[in-house]
Amino acid sequence: MQRFKDLQDINLHFSKFLNTKIILNNNQKIGNLSDFFVDYEEIFPSVLAIQYKKNRQFYYIKWEDIIYLSYEKIIVNDDFQKGQSRTYPKASRNKVVTSILANQFTGETIEYPSIGHLIIDKQIVDTNGKKVVRVNDLQMIRSGQELRITHAEVGFSSMVRRLGFSFSLPIIQKILTKYRNLVPHRLINWKYVHAIPNKNINSKLQLTLSNQDIKKMHPADLADILEDLDTQGRNLIFKDLDNKQAADTLSEIEGDLKASLIKDKSPVDVANIISEMDTDDAADILNDLPENRQDEIISNISDNETQEEIQELLEYEDDVAGGLMTTDVFTVMENQTKREVVEKLKTEFEDYPILHDIYVINDTEKLIGTLQLSTLTISSDDTVIKDIMIDHDIKKLLDNSEWEDVAQYLSKYNLITVPVVDHTNELLGMISVDDILPWLLDEKN
Amino acid sequence: MKKIKLFLSNKWAQLLLLLSIVGPGIITANIDNDAGGIATYSLTGAHTGYRLLWILIPITTALIMVQEMSARMGIVSGKGLADLIREKYGLKITFYSLIFLVVADLGNTMAEFAGIASAGEIFGVSKYLSVPICALLVWLLVTKGDYKIVERIFIFGCTIFLSYVISGVLSNPDWSLMFSSLLKPSVASIKKTDFPIIVGLIGTSITPWMQFYIQSAVVEKGISKEHLWHSKIDVIVGCIFMFVVTLFIIVSCAATMFNSGINITSAKDAALALKPLAGSYSSILFAIGLFNASFFSAALLPLATSYYVCEGMGWESGVDKTFKEAPNFFGIFTTLVFIGSVLVLIPNINLFNILIWSQVLNGVLIPLILLYIINLCNDPEIMGEYCNSFLYNIFSYGITIIIFIANILMIYFEVFAN
Repeated sequence: MQRFKDLQDINLHFSKFLNTKIILNNNQKIGNLSDFFVDYEEIFPSVLAIQYKKNRQFYYIKWEDIIYLSYEKIIVNDDFQKGQSRTYPKASRNKVVTSILANQFTGETIEYPSIGHLIIDKQIVDTNGKKVVRVNDLQMIRSGQELRITHAEVGFSSMVRRLGFSFSLPIIQKILTKYRNLVPHRLINWKYVHAIPNKNINSKLQLTLSNQDIKKMHPADLADILEDLDTQGRNLIFKDLDNKQAADTLSEIEGDLKASLIKDKSPVDVANIISEMDTDDAADILNDLPENRQDEIISNISDNETQEEIQELLEYEDDVAGGLMTTDVFTVMENQTKREVVEKLKTEFEDYPILHDIYVINDTEKLIGTLQLSTLTISSDDTVIKDIMIDHDIKKLLDNSEWEDVAQYLSKYNLITVPVVDHTNELLGMISVDDILPWLLDEKN
Repeated sequence: MKKIKLFLSNKWAQLLLLLSIVGPGIITANIDNDAGGIATYSLTGAHTGYRLLWILIPITTALIMVQEMSARMGIVSGKGLADLIREKYGLKITFYSLIFLVVADLGNTMAEFAGIASAGEIFGVSKYLSVPICALLVWLLVTKGDYKIVERIFIFGCTIFLSYVISGVLSNPDWSLMFSSLLKPSVASIKKTDFPIIVGLIGTSITPWMQFYIQSAVVEKGISKEHLWHSKIDVIVGCIFMFVVTLFIIVSCAATMFNSGINITSAKDAALALKPLAGSYSSILFAIGLFNASFFSAALLPLATSYYVCEGMGWESGVDKTFKEAPNFFGIFTTLVFIGSVLVLIPNINLFNILIWSQVLNGVLIPLILLYIINLCNDPEIMGEYCNSFLYNIFSYGITIIIFIANILMIYFEVFAN
């Protein structure tokens, strides 16, 4: 079969196929190509059928019936099978490795939408570049007798081509070869493409964002993506995260968006998410909510200790030490040995994102010493804390210190973390240097 | 901060806060009273008296419908207008429409700077001083400052327009004549020369860029479908407010200038409308109002344009991003502010004409945008069960056709019959 006899370009583009006339061998016209149906279950989806529109109805012709394909015309078998539907039945093949997009369709889907309708001019998440972009075109290749989609195109070239100015592209590219950065030929490999569902009324085509790649992203990157999405896409992704992921991502999101993401959740759900956070992040979020909501959520926190700690933190203004600190502090007693401390650490280490200094308290919770983790590590198992801790001139801050003073203090004494005490020297919490950075970078205003 | 929070938990304070947390409708009302708006309304009053007052009612009705559609689209779809246009009509249509829109917005930006220049001239400050300084301030305010604060100050400053209402009342108008002119449509009373004013009135009330702005504002607020009614009320209230202010601007100008046969050729003349209220201080009062409206619109308008262009073309946007991260966004904004302000500095250019004709340009473009909006509002894939009803469609398409006819008539009389 000489399907691609006249299609010799290496890189093919979806937009160039649009409106190509479809004819029979005797030149009788059937219609103009409007879209492709592809097999989403492949890493680089192959075309299963072409779609055309006639008298406001959508029809499709299977790939097997296509004898000849080029940008100018498409010739089909005389006895081609015409399907009348806006969707295409799912090819039921069991594949082990599937593309992101295939995974996005919920298990119930038996019909697939066409690829242009799904992706062209719509926004997608680029899980590699970790941002939200809008698709201008699709890049395809010939592979044997099949046509496959390899990339989503988002850059300047694809925009120029869609506008019909592709004749000018070589000229533009010649002029701009010096400024290669300005004309990025942005291609996103299909395996990183993550579609963002429309509020699609046709429930047969439900696309969900239940997708592993999204969940593997760093919370800070995911937060950036959520900030770029519209309300609906945002809520859909967020809804799917488990409590821990939701908590981590929520901490990284800016201001107003935080509140709006949890707006529609029940107090119990919010409480569960909040419990997974560090207490200072939890207090930050609750701070932005109206008081009655705050109380509702706090009362639903199952762990009493966490509940108390958060409530204490809410008493502080957010720009003083008390408002910046977390109450999750690793503490030991002075008469413990290194062995005992390490045992304790083994069970608790996950609660402490930054563990640089260990704080030593007495039985009335007063801060009596500090100890660097490195010092502990090089000591022998039988060493008693009292002997290796620093118990004089302990660097600490009062809970009402202003954030500027906290920053200066950390800088002056080269501290990564600093303990926060009240006027009776009782240890309340600690501030680490990453809590102060947003204030210094002016992000908190 | 704690004390403020205690205060805010008080019910009355919450109500006050609610009013100040402006809904999109109130924003519209105030932005309609920008430099171009004030000029157009003043001109209407001074040159036509009460003759064209009746047009205000259909215009306000049209405005309510259009705003309501944009708000509804934003709430139901969760997307901006440029986003929806791009997704439904594709890149080509979006691109060419955006070109027209940007040209119109450039005209509007020029109008804002013309307003700044005019206000400055009332105070005796040359435009070569006021415009560059303000252009720089505007640019800094948006790129380095917080534009949300800009919105708030602007809206607060717009309370100055109540002075028109007071002035209108004080000028002792012929109330019965006013009401009958308002409520009795008389197509026969339209003169050939009225058409630019009519198209200008339409264009300054229903600006294309406002539709994008409203929808984005609604989306950003994250209003849910359950609160649809709330936003409809907000739109209606905003439009009624605009209607009242517009009415009294026209009435004040009619009373002070039409009857004495005074023609408006510059902003200084338009200030006369406030004489009944402020006497010899009328110019100063007017200049303050004009400056406030112009300055903040000069900040908000190019910003809104940059946002919706980037949204439609798929470019990075956001004031909190750096130049490197969102080059197109900042590029568009800077270009609009720059060209808009530079063109105003051309020697001997008639500032008032810029103010009027920029609104006329809006009026010409608005039927196109309306077509998009109505078409999108009828798409079940976007709106689900919230599509326009059949009756609503008749009204909307009817309005679009009428505006289009007005445009045609204007072009005919201005270009060909002259």
